Amino acid sequence: MKRILASSLLLAMTPVVALRSAPALTQKPEVAKVSLKVGDVAPDFSLLSDQWKTVKLSDYRGKKNVMLAIYVLAFTGG
Amino acid sequence: MDSPAANAAFAKQINIKFPLLSDMNKKMLREYGILKGYDVQNETYQWAQRANIVIDKNGVIQHIEEGDSAVDPNTAMSVCTDLHKKQSSK
Repeated sequence: MKRILASSLLLAMTPVVALRSAPALTQKPEVAKVSLKVGDVAPDFSLLSDQWKTVKLSDYRGKKNVMLAIYVLAFTGG
Repeated sequence: MDSPAANAAFAKQINIKFPLLSDMNKKMLREYGILKGYDVQNETYQWAQRANIVIDKNGVIQHIEEGDSAVDPNTAMSVCTDLHKKQSSK
């Protein structure tokens, strides 16, 4: 069976404040300026990998499907 | 946001074989509408919410999950598998 060709990219982020322990947490969704939807062209990005190499979304154009997994608290298992 | 060095340690720890990316200036997160602001005791903090996004070879978004539903990556992986099968059968 063929392996899935999709490349998985993981954005690991550590929040400034631990979500679980934060009291009176109120989300302010207006900070997000763009809400993408299915069918939209994904904006290109250029980010540093864990190997200190620049990874661009456009590098995969015409070659592979891409799965982005955006994870906060990646280091904590949260 | 985790630095590339922190991500490298994490990748080694859990034996990850795909790139772990750092969005240190939060630019990508803003453009994708994933960066959210939270008020905590009169201060606003920004960090990303969890999300899984599948983008096809043409750069078109095929699947988006945000929040709690994005904790489990299996749905997004299934979308990837189906996408690949569909492309292979053409």
